[in-house]
Amino acid sequence: MSVTPAPAADEPYLRVRDLRVQFPTEDGLVRAVDGVSFSVRRGQTLGIVGESGSGKSVTSMSILGLHNAARTKISGEISIGGRDIVGMDDEKIREMRGQDMAMVFQDPLSALHPYYKVGVQIAEAYKVHHPQASKAEANKRAVEMLDRVGIPQPERRAKQYPHEFSGGMRQRAMIAMALVNDPALLIADEPTTALDVTVQAQILDLLEDLQREFNSAIIVITHDLGVVAQIADDVLVMYAGRAIETGSVEQVMRSPQHPYTWGLLASVPSLHGDAEIDLVPIKGNPPSLINLPTGCAFNPRCRYAGLNGNRSFVEVPELRPAGQDGHHVACHLSGADRRRIYLEDIAHAGVAQ
Amino acid sequence: MTIPKKETRKGTTVRLKIGALTAGALSVALVASGCSKTTEDGGSGDDKKAVVQSGLISYDAADNKGPAPAVEGGVKGGNVGVLLPDGFEHLDPARAYVNVASLAGQLLFRSLNGYREDGKGKLKVVGDLAENPGTDVNKDCKVWEFKIRQGVKYEDGSPVTAADVAYGVARSFSKNLSEGPHYIQQWLADSKEYNATYKGPYDGGADLPPGVTVPDAQTIRFTFAKPQCDMPYAATMSTTVPVPKAKDTKTEYDRKPFSSGPYKIKSYAIGQSLVLERNPNWDGNTDPLRTALPDTFTWNFTLQADQVAERLVADADADKSSLSWVPVPAAQLAKTTTPEVKARVISGPTQYVWYMTINNNRIKDVNVRRALNYALDKDALLKAIGGSAAGTPATTLLSPTVGGFEKYDALPAPVTGDPAKVKEVLGSTPPPPLVLAYANSPRRAAQAEAARKSFEAAGFKVTTKAIDPTNYYTEVGRKDNPYDLYLTGWAADWPGGGTVIPPLFDGREIAETGNQNSAYFNEPSVGAEIDRIGGLPSETERAKAWAALDKKIMTDFAPTIPAYYDASYTLIGSKVGNAFQSDAFGYPSLMNIYVKQ
Amino acid sequence: MVRFVIRRLLLAVTTLFAISVITFLLFFAVPSSPATVMCGKQCSPEQIAQTEHRLGIDKPIVEQYGTFVKGIFVGRVIGEGDFIRDCPAPCLGYSFRTDEPVTDILGRTIPVTVSIVFGAAVMWLVIGVSLGMTSALKRGTVFDRFAIGVSLVGASLQVYFFGLVLLLVFVYSTGLLPTPSYTPFTENPGKWALGLLLPWITLGFLNSALYARLSRAQMLETLSEDYVRTARAKGLPKRTVYIRHALRAAITPIITIAGLDIGASLGGTVITESIFGLQGLGRTAVKAVGDLNLPIVLATVLVAAAFIVFANIIVDMLYAVVDPRVRLG
Repeated sequence: MSVTPAPAADEPYLRVRDLRVQFPTEDGLVRAVDGVSFSVRRGQTLGIVGESGSGKSVTSMSILGLHNAARTKISGEISIGGRDIVGMDDEKIREMRGQDMAMVFQDPLSALHPYYKVGVQIAEAYKVHHPQASKAEANKRAVEMLDRVGIPQPERRAKQYPHEFSGGMRQRAMIAMALVNDPALLIADEPTTALDVTVQAQILDLLEDLQREFNSAIIVITHDLGVVAQIADDVLVMYAGRAIETGSVEQVMRSPQHPYTWGLLASVPSLHGDAEIDLVPIKGNPPSLINLPTGCAFNPRCRYAGLNGNRSFVEVPELRPAGQDGHHVACHLSGADRRRIYLEDIAHAGVAQ
Repeated sequence: MTIPKKETRKGTTVRLKIGALTAGALSVALVASGCSKTTEDGGSGDDKKAVVQSGLISYDAADNKGPAPAVEGGVKGGNVGVLLPDGFEHLDPARAYVNVASLAGQLLFRSLNGYREDGKGKLKVVGDLAENPGTDVNKDCKVWEFKIRQGVKYEDGSPVTAADVAYGVARSFSKNLSEGPHYIQQWLADSKEYNATYKGPYDGGADLPPGVTVPDAQTIRFTFAKPQCDMPYAATMSTTVPVPKAKDTKTEYDRKPFSSGPYKIKSYAIGQSLVLERNPNWDGNTDPLRTALPDTFTWNFTLQADQVAERLVADADADKSSLSWVPVPAAQLAKTTTPEVKARVISGPTQYVWYMTINNNRIKDVNVRRALNYALDKDALLKAIGGSAAGTPATTLLSPTVGGFEKYDALPAPVTGDPAKVKEVLGSTPPPPLVLAYANSPRRAAQAEAARKSFEAAGFKVTTKAIDPTNYYTEVGRKDNPYDLYLTGWAADWPGGGTVIPPLFDGREIAETGNQNSAYFNEPSVGAEIDRIGGLPSETERAKAWAALDKKIMTDFAPTIPAYYDASYTLIGSKVGNAFQSDAFGYPSLMNIYVKQ
Repeated sequence: MVRFVIRRLLLAVTTLFAISVITFLLFFAVPSSPATVMCGKQCSPEQIAQTEHRLGIDKPIVEQYGTFVKGIFVGRVIGEGDFIRDCPAPCLGYSFRTDEPVTDILGRTIPVTVSIVFGAAVMWLVIGVSLGMTSALKRGTVFDRFAIGVSLVGASLQVYFFGLVLLLVFVYSTGLLPTPSYTPFTENPGKWALGLLLPWITLGFLNSALYARLSRAQMLETLSEDYVRTARAKGLPKRTVYIRHALRAAITPIITIAGLDIGASLGGTVITESIFGLQGLGRTAVKAVGDLNLPIVLATVLVAAAFIVFANIIVDMLYAVVDPRVRLG
């Protein structure tokens, strides 16, 4: 049961506006997230894509209020069900955690406590938000959830330890634990990275199923475009803590507008397209979040940075409409240039679809 | 009356008394000489002068009748605490040899003879259980008769009889109860191997050892093959404590000996404590030695030497009526210099003398030996183990606590040595290289170093050699040992020269191994004189003669270097009355002590 | 679990056997004989031989060892003739010097050492672990730095220094505490605790340093584990996260170390026992070695080894109980 009053049906359940997250360290100020805005409606799935260091995990942790307030500077707005949690008292955020928003983590083996039985851990998640519930009730609910996520013999499994589960089952159990309180927002941080390909598909199917049933808003954080393609409705591409392209899945995947997105798509092998063509990796490394390049953060690695004279090196590009409704890109290249370059360099390489 | 033929003293095996040493420090003892205590100090305290003994064996009626002389200011009652690290190994009179066991035994047992001491230097042998120190029946020192007093009772009220004394002697022959002194046994068996034939009253043996007879309930007789004029001294030892046959629990006797003295055991927890309470059947009128003023005595075995010193210095209420049977360690000596504490220090020489023994088999030139005497820095030797609280420099072979002691200095030199005189004495003889052996413990190593320095300053080249402490005496006791100098200590088993000079300086005793004459000194004229002294009729004459022989040996032959007289330094609580250092045992005796109210 | 225990017990027994053999051999490798040590200067060779016979050390070493082992399992008879004594199993012999049965000696010294160690262990674990865990939670604060500083001091101090200082302050100068002594727990629990308080504090403070640092490091590491993040993500209150999730996991390696530490300490805290005048196993062992008192040396060595071996087994079992991932194999 959600604690917050349900917003109007078409209002996004989660609204993030100009989120900035900085960590003061001995080496300098780490700008992990540098002005990101997006929103997610109930029943909708947003995929956040980016390399390591792009700020996607930091963003999700901020949404759950998991950062250490003493060591983090957060500014901007994160509204969950109408309530802005930036600057909110930690105890109040805690009440929402696990109930209004929940998270599924990357490696279920290390994310589940090795000493406690799975059923106990799920029941614990239930009881903290339903203190009147009895032990028996909580255990029953845990078994129900295990069943709901497709784990056979759920009563038996509830009495087992995480290391006795297979990888896929563990992830299902984590999902069960995250959903036990019917949260309106579920964030899945790299939910399939640690799993086999076949199991991946099952998990993603499960998430879709559950979304239909619970009408939850889902954010899937991943570096894997295949996952995005399968499950997301909308995509947010992040680079160096900034949103560089947003739009629907069709828009971003079929007509990507940002050179970085081109690079991402080009580096993914495809079952279609020309098998003889080499994969095109993006040259260079992700930038230091302490010493971001001036201007467009991508400029050291962008083949087209010089095409705008000095602008890429000096001016930070804003998210601007990129043609179709809802599709935005943060790039100094003109629309015409982008279309041209895309046709010449990119399209024939056989983008993964 | 015929003058007794001079007999050799071959049969007399003189034993080293492990005196001045608590049982617990036994291993440390064997470090140096089989017996030494762990005194270390920074040197405060004036050296109490050793007072010359006089009137040694007394047959005076006044000395031999009970009750014991009243103690001035003495009052009845109270508990005396004795702080003794590590406790007793043996209380069984057949197995007790260390001084602390003998001192405790003075409360629990009566032996045939005993020591009367007054703390002012007058030590006398008188009859304790016996009416007098023994009758030399045929005036040849071969047959000794003792008459047991009437009215002496054990802790259960039964009377002490001569048969019990005989049984006590008999059981001490057993190889299972062999840790005690063996003088009487050897004299009876006329052999060093005292239990070769008669092995005690066990396994079918006779109740009476050969040579012991009990003509009636109050009379016991000892018949020796050779004259043993020191029998009155030997009869003070615990061998003559009465043990009723019915009460003989053999190896259990250590835990609960049957009391014939003024106190009996109330409780005994090994490693913890021993508590003595009054023996209600003790009659003071039968006892010339003990006043038995305190109600109880409590020994505490759990503390270390430094804690003992701390507690007695602090003199808290609980410790005011306590004393210690362990010397004050070096670290605490500085705390004993304030007037209040100094007044509670008990110190003085013990029965031990330490010699820097010269191996006469290797150093044959008497002038070299004299030179070595001039070379040794005795002050440094003492400083290495604490200075004046540990002892005073020695010049004689006999200890000042021995009866008839006479001070002399055959080779006068400053206590730090006299290198110039060394050269003068050596003359043209080149100083030989020397091997100095020592027991490998921190104290003895420090002393060896001090000795080495002084010899080298005098022109000798010295190599030192460490020997494992448990092996030390075995090594230097080998006739063909490869060392020239080694520190050895010796204590008289009783205050008579007869337990010092014959074992240490009679060359006829020398064997391949196990030698106590580790100077390997063999001089026929000295041997003859030893025999002559043994035949002298009175103890006073003998005492004088031993002192004279002492001087002669050093003057004519200088076979060893007398290094220092051992000293003891302990504390008593402020409520302890009439405590003084026993010349016989080196710690305060408890026989006439009392608690000030 | 049962198979594991049986296997480890067998291993333990084998280890103890091996240790007893080695101790025997080492003992007889020493040139001096216990008989000489006991006899002092007064001994003639024949007397020494007699004493050796009485002590039973004139027999071949193998035979002596066999008799010793037999004594443990079946009991044996010691002595001859009128001095024969029955020594029922487990027979550890009699002290060479005082004829006291070794089992009696163990009976009065082991409780002392065990009392010292367990009391001190409670202290050092409670102080050390709570200090360390709290420091981890308050990392970087004044408390943290203070705690680290204190534990550094504790780690650098020596028992003989700290113990003596405490004695001086609390016993000799001010008399606030009684002189340390051992009263059996069954006799008077209050006195037992009061008499051991100073040794407990001494050992407790000094050893807590290690555990403070250990716990702090473990806790810091555990706090960064994924499952702690999950616990927070579930919305659990801080206390639940710290105690049920973090502490429970952080404490496991500390159990191992503490268990082995305690096992080793039970072998005899010689210095502590000496400073505070307590007749424990350690002191008895050291004295026995100096006296060449074989039965006591053997017994104390075996007891100490047994403590360590069993501590090992218990720690392994405990680990399996605490951490379900561990399979006893």
